[in-house]
Amino acid sequence: MSDTKALDPVTFEVLKNSFITSVDQMAEQMLRTCYSFVIYNRDFSNALHDAEGNSVAQGNDDIAVHVGTLHFTCKDVIRVFKGDMMPGDVYAINDPYAGGTHFSDVRLVRPIFDEDELIGFSQSNGHWSDLGGSVPGSFDVTAKEMFREAVRITPVRLFRAGDFCSDVANLIANNTRDPASIIGDIHSQAQATQVAEREILRLVRKYGREQVKQGMNEVQDYVERAVRQRIAALPDGTWESVDYIDRDPSGGEGMIPIHIKMTIKGDQIHYDFEGSHPTIGSMYNSAPGATFSAVVAGMKTFFPDLPLNSGFYRMISVEAPENSVVSAQWPVAVTGFLMPFEKIMNSVFEMWSDIMPERAIACAFNLEYLLAGGTDKRREEDATFMFYEWLPGGWGGRRGKDGSDVTTACFGTGLMSQPNEGNERVNPTRTLEFQIKQDSAGPGKWRGGAGVQKSSLLLESEKSVMSYVCDRERAVVWGVDGGLPSMPHGLTIKRAGSDTSEWLGSVFSDFPMYSGDEFARPTAGGGGFGDPMERSTDAVLTDVIDEYVSIERAALDYGVVVKEVDADLCEYEVDEAETEKLRAHIRENRVAWARTDPEEVAEMYRKGEINSMDAVRRYAVILDWETGEPLPKTIAQFRESFERRSVAHWS
Amino acid sequence: MKNTRVAVDVGGTFTDVVIMDETTGAIRIEKTSSTPDDPMVAILNGIDQGNIDLSDVSMFSHGTTVATNALITRNLARTAMVCTEGFRDVVEIRRANKEDLWDTYKDVAKPYVPRRDRLVVKECVDANGTVLEALDEEGARRVANVLKKRGVASVAVCFMNSYTNGANEQRMRDILLEVMPDIPVSISSQVLPEIFEHERFSTTMANAAVSPSVVDYVERLEGKLADGGYERDLLLLHTGGGVMTPASVKDFAARLAGSGIAAGAIASRFIGNLCGFDNSIGFDMGGTSTDVSLVYEGKSRVTKDWYIEYGYPIRFPSIEVLTIGAGGGSLAWKDEGGSLRNGPQSAGAFPGPACYKNGNEVATNTDANVVLGRLGTSLAGGKITLDPALAEASVRETVAEPFGMELHEAAEAIVAVANANMANAVRLLSISRGYDPRDFALVAFGGAGALHGAAIAKELSIPTVIIPPNPGVTSALGCLLVDIQHDFSDSFMAAAADTKPEDVEAAFERLEAMAAERLKHEGVAPKDIVMQRTVEMMYQGQWRALAVSAPSKVTDIESLIDGFHKEHHREFNFRRDDAPVSIFRVGLTATGMVPKAELQTHEVKKNTPTIETTRDVWFDGKAHTAMIFERDNLSAGATFDGPAIVEQFDSTTVIPPNTTAEVDKYMNILIRVQE
Repeated sequence: MSDTKALDPVTFEVLKNSFITSVDQMAEQMLRTCYSFVIYNRDFSNALHDAEGNSVAQGNDDIAVHVGTLHFTCKDVIRVFKGDMMPGDVYAINDPYAGGTHFSDVRLVRPIFDEDELIGFSQSNGHWSDLGGSVPGSFDVTAKEMFREAVRITPVRLFRAGDFCSDVANLIANNTRDPASIIGDIHSQAQATQVAEREILRLVRKYGREQVKQGMNEVQDYVERAVRQRIAALPDGTWESVDYIDRDPSGGEGMIPIHIKMTIKGDQIHYDFEGSHPTIGSMYNSAPGATFSAVVAGMKTFFPDLPLNSGFYRMISVEAPENSVVSAQWPVAVTGFLMPFEKIMNSVFEMWSDIMPERAIACAFNLEYLLAGGTDKRREEDATFMFYEWLPGGWGGRRGKDGSDVTTACFGTGLMSQPNEGNERVNPTRTLEFQIKQDSAGPGKWRGGAGVQKSSLLLESEKSVMSYVCDRERAVVWGVDGGLPSMPHGLTIKRAGSDTSEWLGSVFSDFPMYSGDEFARPTAGGGGFGDPMERSTDAVLTDVIDEYVSIERAALDYGVVVKEVDADLCEYEVDEAETEKLRAHIRENRVAWARTDPEEVAEMYRKGEINSMDAVRRYAVILDWETGEPLPKTIAQFRESFERRSVAHWS
Repeated sequence: MKNTRVAVDVGGTFTDVVIMDETTGAIRIEKTSSTPDDPMVAILNGIDQGNIDLSDVSMFSHGTTVATNALITRNLARTAMVCTEGFRDVVEIRRANKEDLWDTYKDVAKPYVPRRDRLVVKECVDANGTVLEALDEEGARRVANVLKKRGVASVAVCFMNSYTNGANEQRMRDILLEVMPDIPVSISSQVLPEIFEHERFSTTMANAAVSPSVVDYVERLEGKLADGGYERDLLLLHTGGGVMTPASVKDFAARLAGSGIAAGAIASRFIGNLCGFDNSIGFDMGGTSTDVSLVYEGKSRVTKDWYIEYGYPIRFPSIEVLTIGAGGGSLAWKDEGGSLRNGPQSAGAFPGPACYKNGNEVATNTDANVVLGRLGTSLAGGKITLDPALAEASVRETVAEPFGMELHEAAEAIVAVANANMANAVRLLSISRGYDPRDFALVAFGGAGALHGAAIAKELSIPTVIIPPNPGVTSALGCLLVDIQHDFSDSFMAAAADTKPEDVEAAFERLEAMAAERLKHEGVAPKDIVMQRTVEMMYQGQWRALAVSAPSKVTDIESLIDGFHKEHHREFNFRRDDAPVSIFRVGLTATGMVPKAELQTHEVKKNTPTIETTRDVWFDGKAHTAMIFERDNLSAGATFDGPAIVEQFDSTTVIPPNTTAEVDKYMNILIRVQE
C-alpha cells in the first residue's frame, strides 16, 4: 500500500472510473477498426498499466482467457526496452513463455509519457487470424514444439517515436498467410493504445501527474482490499479437484490428469498443481502465465462485481511441478493451452461451488474450434479460403436453476458466434442445420444447458483440409451433486455419395475433404446439477414440449413417462403412476449399472442397443466411439469421477 | 380553421400534451397522470383538460411507449415463427454471448417466441440468391394449419439467405394469409433485408411480436381522434427520429420500440438548432437515469446496434442514446473497498430521496443538492416540500461520517462523483467517437438536467449550456416538430475500385423508388420529399462498415472513397490511403417534410432581472450568496452572473460562479461556462 497521503474520495472515484472508461474506449475503437474476424467477434482485451507494468484497469467485457496475463507481457516489454523508450513508441509481443496465452494473441504496448516521465502503459491484445506455422489459423494439433505452430514475437518495436517501423512489421506480416490484414490490425491496435494515452494525459492535465500516478496505485490497493476482506471472511481450509484432458497422442490410452489443491489461509489463497501430468506430445499444454490466468478467470466468476486489475492477483499464489502440462516451457507446443485452461476453470468452479453454494455450477461444455482451408472454386478466379469457426454449447446446471443454454465457451464468455450467412459468402460451404441439439444437456435436478448441432456441406473447392481442436470426447462434461455427464464431443463426416458417417473424434489435423462432403459437429450440453430423479415432472414435461428433451430420454434419464396428447397443440402429459414405478426401478439399479463390466457395455454399444449418451450417463463407460472398443485406463479414471461427483450423492 | 398542433409524450408517471398555436407559435402544456393499463385514456384526458377541439388540429403527433412496454414486460400476444428447416433456433442461439460476462447466475432472457412455437418448412436459397429448393407448399400448409389451431396472433417468417431473394418467404406469407387472413405476418426480407440471420430474424420476431398490440392501440387512438373531429393522419414518432403514419405501423410496428427515447433526443436537437448550434449534446437527467444523445452538423447520431432486451437486436436505424444509471434519486454509498460510489441503485419515485420524508435514509443526489442549497425546499409550485433536516442527516450518515468529511464537503463529494460518471458517459459518446466537446452546446433538460448541466459542461469544457423553457416536459416538444421519415437499406458488397458509379446510382434509385412509394402511400406530396443517401464502406478486410454521405447523383466512385478516408480519420484517428476499400451497403433516409411552424419569439430587451431573494449556496468548498430568480419573471434579454438559482414549476437551474446566464428570444436560458 502506498505511503503518501491518500487521494480524496472524489478524485479517487473519478480516476478509477476514468481509467475504466479509457480501457472501454480502446475496446470500442478496436471493435470498429479491426481486420481479424476473430477480434471482431470479441477475442481481444485491453488494459492500462502503471509504470511498473502492473494492471490498473482491464475492460470488464474482455474475454476471460486474457484476464491475469496482460501485466506479464507488459513487464516483459519493460524488461527488454527499459531506458530505451520514448513517446510515440509501440511494441509488440505474443510470447506465451513470457506470460502470454498463445501465439495468436498479439499484444501491442504503448508507453505513456507525461513530458519526459514514463507514467504508465496501454496495451491492446487481439487474436490475429493467422500467424504462420504449418496450418491455416496457426492451430496445428500435431505440433509438439512451437516451431510448427507460429511466429513467436519476443518484444519488438513497431513504432519509434510515432514512425512506423515497416521493416519489423513486414517481417512479422510476411510470415503469415494474410499479410495485408496483419498490417491492418497493427494499425487498429496501435490506435487503440493511443486512445488510452490521450485519456490519461487529459487526466494528468486536470489532476496533475502525481495524483494520476497515485490513483493508479490506489485502484490496485482498492481491489486488493475488497478481495482480501471477502477471502478473510471465508473459513480456512483445503479443497481438491481433478479434471482431465482426453489423451496424450504420443502416449498410450488414458486421460491426462490436472490436479489442483486450493488452500485458503487468512486472506491468502494458494493453488498447488502437484500431481498434474508432465507435458504431452500435442499442443494441449499451457505455460505458467496462461495457467495463472485460468485460476484468476475461474475465481473471478465467484466475484463477478469486482473490477479487474493487479490488486486482484496479489493474494493469489500458484505453484506447479516443473514441465507439467500446466507449466510448459519453451519450446513445448502451447497453442492449445485452452484445453488445460478450461479444465482448470471448471475445477476452480467445483472447489468454489463448495465455498459459495449460492453460486455453485457444474461443468461446462468444452470449447471447439474448426479450421478449414483450401481453394474456393465457386467463381472463375480461384481464391484461397480460410474457414475458422467455434460453436456455443451448454453450461453446467446450477443450484436452483438449469444451466445456460447455447452460450459461448467458458474460456471466453464475451466471444460471439458467427453468422452462417456471412460464412456462406466467404467460404465454399453451405450450412445444412444449426440448431439446438435435443438431449445434449447433462441430466440433473437442474439440467445442464443445451448444446447445438451444426452440419455443413463443402461446395466447389480443391485441396481442402480440415483441423479440429476440441476435447472431452473422453473426459466427458461431468455433473455434480448427483447430476449426470452430458455427452462426448466429436465431429463426423459423411463423404459425398456415401450413406454412412465416419466418426473423426475431437482432435485431428489436416484431414483432406472434397466437394460434396458433409461434416457435422454437436457441442455438448452442460453437466447436470443434483439427482435427475428429483427433477420435477413439470420441468421435464416443459422440456419435452419445447423439444429440449425427447420423450425417450425423459424416461431413460429422468424416469419420467411422458405421453403425447396432441403435438399440434403442444399437449403432452406425464403418467404419474408409470413415472413413480420407473423412477423406483432406476433408483434401485443405477449404482449397479454404473459399475457394469465395461466389456458388456461395449458389446451393447457395438450391437447398437445403446448409444454414447447411455454409455456415459448410465454405465459410466468411455469407449472408442468409432470402433466401440473399451478404454480401460480412461474408464477407471472416468468412473472415479462419476462415483465421486454423481453416485456418492444419490440417496 | 386548422391552426393547432398537438404533440403527446407518454411517460411512466405523466402524460404531457403540448399544444401549439400555429399562428402565434405560442405553446401551452397540459400534464396529466399516465394510465399505464391503457395509455390512450391519459391522452384523451389531456385533450379534454386542454380544451382541444380536435377539428381545429392540423397535426397530431405522438411519442408512445406502447411497443417498448410490451417488449419489456413481454405482455405480447402469442407469436409464432416459421423458419427454414434446421434453423428454428437462430434467435435462441443468438451470438451466444452474454451481457454480464462474469456472473454465471445471470442469463440472457429467452427469445420472444418460445421454441415450441418456432416451426420449420423445407426450402433453400443460397448465398447468391438462387432458389435451390422452392418452398415445400404442402409442409407450409401443414404449418399454417397447426398455427391456426394454436390460435397464434402473429407470425414471423424467417428464412436463411432471404436477404438475397425473398421469393420463398413471400410464398410462405401468402399461404399463411390464405389460412389465417386476419393476422399480421412479418417476413424478414421485407422487415430488414440485410445479411446476418440472427439480427434479421430477431428484428422480424420483435416486429411480429409487438404488431398485434401496437396496431390495436394505434387503430383505437386513430378512431377516437377521428370521432373527435381530427381529419388528418395520426403521426407516430419512431426510433429513427421521424414520424410515421398508421399505414406504416402495420408493417413496421417495432420501429416504435424506441419512440419515447427518441423524443428527448429530437427535442434537444431542435432546441440546439434554434439557438444556432449545429452540434449539440442532449443531456436528459431524470430521477433514476440519464439519457445522453449527440447531434453533429445538424444530424442526430444514429446507430443500428440497438435493442430493448440484450441479445435481441432491433436493427432499425435508431437515434443513438446512451443511458446510465445516474439520476436525482441515485444513492450514494461506500463500498467494501472504501470507495465513494453513486448509483446505479436509486431511491426511485418512492420512497425517493431522504428529504421526501417517505422513509429512505440513504443520501441521494437530490439530498446533496438540498444540503448545498442548490435545490430549494419547495417544489412544483409548493405542492412538494422537502425536509432539509432529513437531507442533512442522510448526507451525514451515508458519506460525511464514513469518510470523515464535513457536511457540505460530503454533499459536494456526492454531486462531484455523480457529475464525473455522467461526464464519462458523454465522453463515450463524443470524444471516443472523434468529436471534441468544445465544439458542442449542452442541452440540459429532464427533471434534474438543469441542476447538473453547468457542472457537466465545465467538466467537459463545453462552452454553452442551454436550458429550455420547460425542462421537465421537453421530450413532448420533440414530437411536435418532426418530419415523416423512413429508412431503407440494401446490401451492396463489392470492392470499391471495381465498382461502376452507375451501379451504385441504380441501387440508390431502387431504394428511392421504394421510398417514394411509401411516402406517397402516406399522402406526402412529391415536392415535400427529401432523400438523403449514405454508403457504408470499410477498408477491405475490416469487419465493420462506416456510413458516409453520398451525393444525390453518384457519378464517380473516387469521391465516395475519399469521403470514407476522411470519415475514418475523423472517427478513428487513422486512414490508410493505399489500402483497398470495400462497399458494404447503401442506405437511404427518406423524409416527408411536414409544414414548418415557428415557435413564438419574444422581444429581447437587455435587462438585469430583479432578485427575488438570496440564499447560501455551496460551490467549491464554501458558501456563496446566490441570487434566486423565478423563471416566470425572467424576460427575454435578462442577463446575470452566477452564482444564481432559477426556480420554476418543474425544474431548478443552477448557474454556478464564474458563469453568466442570459435568456434568449425563445425563453431558453443560455449559460456561458468559462474555463
